[in-house]
Amino acid sequence: MLKMFKKKGEQIFAPTAGTVMALADVPDPVFASGAVGEGFAVEPSEGSFTSPVDGELILVAKTLHAFAVRTDGGAEILVHIGMDTVKLKGAGFTAHRAKGEQVKRGDVIITCDLAQMTPLVPSMVTPVLLTNGKDFAIAETEIGAADGTPIITVRKK
Amino acid sequence: MTTQTVVVGSPVGLHARPAAMIATAAGAYEEEILLSIEGEDEVDATSALMIMTLGADFGASVTVESENAAAVAEIAALIAKDLDS
Repeated sequence: MLKMFKKKGEQIFAPTAGTVMALADVPDPVFASGAVGEGFAVEPSEGSFTSPVDGELILVAKTLHAFAVRTDGGAEILVHIGMDTVKLKGAGFTAHRAKGEQVKRGDVIITCDLAQMTPLVPSMVTPVLLTNGKDFAIAETEIGAADGTPIITVRKK
Repeated sequence: MTTQTVVVGSPVGLHARPAAMIATAAGAYEEEILLSIEGEDEVDATSALMIMTLGADFGASVTVESENAAAVAEIAALIAKDLDS
């Protein structure tokens, strides 16, 4: 436990309940390769997606399948709900917050009926990505972390 | 400064996959490359996330701007292509 307090950095938590996995295990080559950003993914067990950090909500996709939060320190974290969910054009998703709002970690941003969505898309695996890797790096990753502990820690380069 | 305006060719719009491909291509250039849609702020083309914030749907017009004409041509061509097939 001491490890997470050792150095300064911003801690990124899982945005939903479920099984945390390495990004390389995401069933989509674009995400698995890290082309969108580095991070981790969650196979969700419920359809409630919350902010993984405190910050400003800088993106709520029109199609409601993705959102992003910029931390006070400037790290940009994208939560992309499921694979090919952009093609649903928002059907089945409900947004609870709007772009530009300040959010706290754990605030519900988007919800869906997971059982209803799962058959419609290749996967509901949800990547959580650091998208401004030019300025920030992932300092620590703990895939096997217990519920409620940070999965990754990012730090300014 | 070179600018070129093109129409989005990916049916899903500039979302995760197309945005990542454009950001990767833009990252290969040293010069700044900016994307914009009419009436909105310009965004850095090397950030997949910032490209997604444009909310550019299929058929939307996107303007590419850079000091490097080759970069503008390459990024414009990517935006116009179907990157999701």
